[in-house]
Amino acid sequence: MVEISRYKWPLITVVVVVAALMFVIAVGFTIGFLSENPDGLERVLIDNNGEEWLENLFSPWTPILSWVTNDYVAGIIGIVLSIAIMTGVFYLITYLKKRDTK
Amino acid sequence: MHIPDGLLDPITTIVLWIVTIVIMILGYFRMGKIFEKEDSEKMIPYIGVLAAVIFAFQFVNYPVPGGTSGHLVGGTLVAIILGPWASVIVLFLILVIQSLFGDGGITALGPNAFNMGIIGGIVGFYIVVLFVRLFNKTSLKKELKVTIATAIGSYIAIVLASFICGIEIGVGGAIPIEIAIPAMVFWHLIIGIGEALISALIVFYIYKTKPDFITTESILGVE
Repeated sequence: MVEISRYKWPLITVVVVVAALMFVIAVGFTIGFLSENPDGLERVLIDNNGEEWLENLFSPWTPILSWVTNDYVAGIIGIVLSIAIMTGVFYLITYLKKRDTK
Repeated sequence: MHIPDGLLDPITTIVLWIVTIVIMILGYFRMGKIFEKEDSEKMIPYIGVLAAVIFAFQFVNYPVPGGTSGHLVGGTLVAIILGPWASVIVLFLILVIQSLFGDGGITALGPNAFNMGIIGGIVGFYIVVLFVRLFNKTSLKKELKVTIATAIGSYIAIVLASFICGIEIGVGGAIPIEIAIPAMVFWHLIIGIGEALISALIVFYIYKTKPDFITTESILGVE
């Protein structure tokens, strides 16, 4: 049986940080202090080869979450996915490492 | 600094995938003892939170003069908190999630993890170690030594990663190497300031609120 009380503070931290991140993303996109400009690599590629060239680079797949066009929604999905995947993977790593050391 | 699909040539891509996979396997075996402790599960929610923070800071771009923007890479930051080997795995998984949104290519995951996880994480971490040991000769407080060293380490790591990325682009033939390297380094000399500030502030905050979350103190050698 999992003892929830053991994880009280870690879980509170998760909720608080996720709420804070969502708030920052929401405020950032609303007020506009976040930038829509290309980042360093995109800037270099656009300056040398043009935006159209960059957009037409061959990709073997269509990113499965590319249909999410709203930045805020994408941010929330990404945050939830990050927590879920990282928690799962590191739970497995911890389990395997403990098993190996026994 | 997320390389899209189709930018690098197949050989560069395959070589960087192999290097990244080898380092990740090695990373699993060399990862810190924190994951073997009796109560190590307690760390897991915090690792999830850290991943969410890195994702969010990579996802949003802050303005940089000259019509460009920057975002946190976070490799050095994760390495300071969880250790250099764990940072490669964390960064790789974050890049997987970002590629689902089209931010960085799926075939370029290996190269991206190499640049941001291995250069940003492992190399950045050992630059921090070097500076912490230099600062040990001063009378600075422990948290300040690590904070300042983190700022310097993450700055150098991001510029170094941009230099390596410039080589990869040049070798791939998208842009001549003599143009790709200086252009990448130039922009990241500016963008790196944001990386340094954000990483240092987060490390300082953790030192003030939950110092045991910095699991690498013994490797850092801070006195």
